[in-house]
Amino acid sequence: MALDFNLVGQQVKQMGGALRESADDRRERIERARAALDEHSDNWAEWRDRAGAVYDKSPWLLAAPAEPLASRHPLPACPPTYNLAAVDGSQIDLDRHGAAECFLINLGLVLLRYGDGAECQLRSTPRLYYQEDEVVLRDNNGRQYTMAGPLVHAERDTLEGVALAHLAAELALDAPRIAVQDGTLIRWPLSGLDTWVRDHFLERYLAGLSLLRDLAVPTCSYISRPRTPEVTGLARLLADPGFAKVNKPNGAGDPYRGLNDRDLFGDGRLREGERSALFKSLSKINAEHYGEHAIYFFYLHVGRELVRVELPEWAATDPARRDLVHAIAYDQAQRGGGYPVSLARAHEQAVVRETDRRVFRQMIEATLWHARLQGGDSLKAAAKEMQLV
Amino acid sequence: MTIDIPPTMRRIGEVIEASSTAWVAGAYQLLDAPPFGSLVRASCHADGLWIYGLVYDIRTGSREPGGRAMVRGGRRYDGAEFYDGQIYSEHPDLAAVLQTEWSALVVGYERDGRIVHYLPPQPPTVHYSAYACDEQTVRRFTAQCDFFRIVLNTSLVPAEDLLGTAIRQAAALHPNRRDYELCAGRELARMLRDNYDRLRTIVRMMAE
Repeated sequence: MALDFNLVGQQVKQMGGALRESADDRRERIERARAALDEHSDNWAEWRDRAGAVYDKSPWLLAAPAEPLASRHPLPACPPTYNLAAVDGSQIDLDRHGAAECFLINLGLVLLRYGDGAECQLRSTPRLYYQEDEVVLRDNNGRQYTMAGPLVHAERDTLEGVALAHLAAELALDAPRIAVQDGTLIRWPLSGLDTWVRDHFLERYLAGLSLLRDLAVPTCSYISRPRTPEVTGLARLLADPGFAKVNKPNGAGDPYRGLNDRDLFGDGRLREGERSALFKSLSKINAEHYGEHAIYFFYLHVGRELVRVELPEWAATDPARRDLVHAIAYDQAQRGGGYPVSLARAHEQAVVRETDRRVFRQMIEATLWHARLQGGDSLKAAAKEMQLV
Repeated sequence: MTIDIPPTMRRIGEVIEASSTAWVAGAYQLLDAPPFGSLVRASCHADGLWIYGLVYDIRTGSREPGGRAMVRGGRRYDGAEFYDGQIYSEHPDLAAVLQTEWSALVVGYERDGRIVHYLPPQPPTVHYSAYACDEQTVRRFTAQCDFFRIVLNTSLVPAEDLLGTAIRQAAALHPNRRDYELCAGRELARMLRDNYDRLRTIVRMMAE
């Protein structure tokens, strides 16, 4: 049936009109939010304490400022020689008829040295999980958790963090060192899990951060097109410190409906190379379980886009380390044509091509088949299952 | 099996594709490939067999299929400018993601010390090494001109450029250069008596 363009055209026009109006509204909300940050910028310490006191009652994600809210920080000079470690991972879930027998995590590892003696090492390491206690987790009370979907993802995040720490130990000491991860350092998805499962992943991840701290290698993560609304939440707190209006229907109590931090710091608010003020994330898992590794963040204009850079407290609160992270995050993005080249290479090493996946699955099928055959099944029983061709 | 490698032979690549008529080798180091037209040889799992080839194509590109180099030269954000070799220092990951490969046209083989200018019984073995030929080996292989026939008959390559370059390089290594060129010229004239244009192209290349 043909599309009636007359009728649908009118509707598209109406949609355009509605979008334009909401765009104007949106712009106005963004201006108000930015104005609020400007107005309260110098009282940042007060708002840090306030946010820290109410974050668990807040319906919105919050961040605690560590610097004046409206401060902008120019790009520090990047050391001409530096040593960098980066890790990315990918996974193959194997789900045979509903019972996962094993899964694979493939890590891409990158060591890069710039400047004097520039060189690069790229490699990948696969890890196959197949032991009974690896594919089904059991807590102390006997509760079982099958490693599939989100739990495999959690294991991958943990493995990436731990591998990065070990890789960083290989960095030469004769120049500034840094360890870089893709995505977030905050293990958001773990906060909804049972305590035992959460700790199963988080403790190892935090041990990785401890190793990096002990090696004195600052670490950070780089998030392209961030969607976090934590500073927006802080702006809401500035407008409504007592949460008096939060229960209004239809989100009418939210002066900054539909905005996120990219709106606040993007689009001319920062000059290229500049970073925003530093904030500490008040996400529950960070505030309550990260301890000395509590994750801070800032927004950075890398030219093509606004990105979020996260770093643990021991790197964030040390000006030299913070500046190094700032300079290198920008430098890496420039070298990579808009996205850090080290993370792009790590991703290339980690990704498993479809052809390799197929070969891998065939290997697994063959191995499992042989294992069953040798595991006591009679050849007659096997013959009954399979037709000889 | 063991292969006796004379100390003068330089290992220059690893065979990554092979057929009876040609092979492709990956270079060990980026941009380090034997020159166009040079005589090379590849090893084989079969005992005592060496396959000879002439390098007819050298390529550098992404290891991943479909990858394409982006323009990297110009001014960096801090004002410094980078071109040519400096680009490789600025981007040390390039050496890890680019690969240089070269292709060789099979022009003969050697077994038990005897050189034959026909296609070999077996192609080079994938993942075995390819070597540059030292001067003595080039003289030995090119002493007879029968291999010209293989190059002239192939549809694969820029045959005139390849043969002309190969003969020129070989002539420079023979004790009497002029004699060699005359001998090669006579052989070419015989093989290309029906194709004067082709003959002329090759003879011109020999004289470059």
